[in-house]
Amino acid sequence: MTDANSLTAAVGEPSPITRIERDTLASMADTSGYYWLGLLGAVSLTALGGWALSQMLREGLGITGLNGTVMWGSLITSFVFFIGVSHSGTLVSAILFFTRSPLRAAVGRSAEAMTVIAILTAGVYPVIHLGRAWLAFFLLPYPNQRGLWPNVRSPLEWDVFAVCSYVTVSALFLYMGMLPDFALLSRRVRGWRRPLYRILSLGFSGTDGEWGLFEKAYPIFAAVVIPLAVSVHSVVSWDFAMTLSPGWHSAIFPPYFVAGAIFSGVAMAILLLGGLRRGYKLEHYIKPEHFDLLAKLMLSMSLVMTFVYATEFFMAFYRGSAAESEVFRWRATGTYAPVFWLVVLCNSVAPLAIFWRRVRRSLATLVVLSVLVTIGMWFERFMFIVTTLAHGYDSYAWRNYTPTPREVCICLGGFGMFVTLFLLFIKILPSMSIAETMQGEHAAGATTRGDPAHGHEVTRAT
Amino acid sequence: MRRDDLVAVFADPDAAEEALRTLHDAGVATARVASPAPFPVIHQTGHPGPWRALGVVALVGGLSGLGSAIAFQVVTSKAMGLVVGGKPIVSWTAFGVIMFELTMLFAGVVNFSAFVILSAFTRRWFSRRAREQVTSERIVIVVPVAGYSEERKGAIRASLSHAVEVLS
Repeated sequence: MTDANSLTAAVGEPSPITRIERDTLASMADTSGYYWLGLLGAVSLTALGGWALSQMLREGLGITGLNGTVMWGSLITSFVFFIGVSHSGTLVSAILFFTRSPLRAAVGRSAEAMTVIAILTAGVYPVIHLGRAWLAFFLLPYPNQRGLWPNVRSPLEWDVFAVCSYVTVSALFLYMGMLPDFALLSRRVRGWRRPLYRILSLGFSGTDGEWGLFEKAYPIFAAVVIPLAVSVHSVVSWDFAMTLSPGWHSAIFPPYFVAGAIFSGVAMAILLLGGLRRGYKLEHYIKPEHFDLLAKLMLSMSLVMTFVYATEFFMAFYRGSAAESEVFRWRATGTYAPVFWLVVLCNSVAPLAIFWRRVRRSLATLVVLSVLVTIGMWFERFMFIVTTLAHGYDSYAWRNYTPTPREVCICLGGFGMFVTLFLLFIKILPSMSIAETMQGEHAAGATTRGDPAHGHEVTRAT
Repeated sequence: MRRDDLVAVFADPDAAEEALRTLHDAGVATARVASPAPFPVIHQTGHPGPWRALGVVALVGGLSGLGSAIAFQVVTSKAMGLVVGGKPIVSWTAFGVIMFELTMLFAGVVNFSAFVILSAFTRRWFSRRAREQVTSERIVIVVPVAGYSEERKGAIRASLSHAVEVLS
């Protein structure tokens, strides 16, 4: 086990290491037993998923509970869920950037990392769902002897482009924000991290010209990321809405998916930030006010989701389509009714507690609520995917679906992979923006010193 | 290190800003700054640099992505001969999503590439030694003093009196 002191090297003359740099280094070096326990649990879960996946690759999709009627199940549910989780990280970070929120310095980096890791996890599920995962490259457009090209009119192909674009731009957005920190850390740390950070910094040195470029390029990136994030989840919603299936063929789907994505993403962000705060004693940076704001955002999205649920039901019965109204009646009273009511409880009822300030200020309560929302959002995806397929137009084809244990293992493996990658991220890469925090603290100091113009200028510069 | 450069190391961004202002008042407009964070001092040097072009570069990147998406979709659709039930084989509505995605992708990637390349050019003005002085509590001001009289160099040194260290 290492500590921050053994990780750092003196640079030039003895100089006090800044608190933010020391705390960031500590989060990478001071590995507690809880970290290793968490990592062990996450790796075990990933291994369990890997084992189940190996079974599926050998025996085929037959080991899942999927059938001719319900051909999309828990794997596609997990894909949609993780795309949703990925949605809010970069989006929230970019919006906080444009609104010059001080919240960003503390939570932006972790949120962006969550986005990249979640979308990498999400991308695994459709490949697994193909059955013949080794043929996934068929989805990519490449010249081939058969003269075959992917059908660019299909929403499923749009997904490929949307997800690939989003993961690339989100990863670059995250990476670009880390360049100044890599430059600082490469002069501070020793051991194997030093050459790693030196390479990753791409030579960034903090010269006035580089900062000028940075301050021009970063907002452009943020401006690119926001519409891209919205488009990705809209495209995922069109996988469903472009079909004529009852319960899916609805214009409300893109905003419904985007709101749901922000909802689940904020819940996941609260969980990850809560863990970071408690695990690494980052109370000075990740403050109750930050959780308060995230909780308010979660509550807003919960209200939007409740409105959407109600609208869907209203439209299903108002429209007069027998198949549509039957699907919605069955959702609330049929085989999957427990799932439906669990979703209502977790997504619409439980978050109402956030109206109370005491709940918003209690990290433990917020963590419990976030877990409920995470569960609720996964089952919400499951509910609308499965109930429409199981109870569609053709009553002769109605058939239920239950995931098999091995299928559940594959889904859990994805969660394990997500947590594993995030734990590795906070161990190897800075989980908070050092440069941004320094700038924010300097700006706050300038304002405190009675130099508001100065403080304003700093804020504008970011 | 570049010969005849004065490298002044400051522990406080405000002190560095004050020193830069004093240098400007003394008629020294060639000083440059390297800082661990985007403190206001980096905006005081008066070197606009090449970054004004970045927005145009990103726009060109985005437009090239749009062009690539259109070309890709039209060419591959016509090459396949897919049966589309009498609907147009080149359908701009259906192509819109990939057009948008590739526009954004190219804009982002080109923006990042331009940033990396232009950064490499702009940092060449600074010597390696000056750049390596920058840490989280060390801000560097570099003043080229080649050809200056000893008296003028002395005046510049006096302007940098709040520095924790001056390397020459």
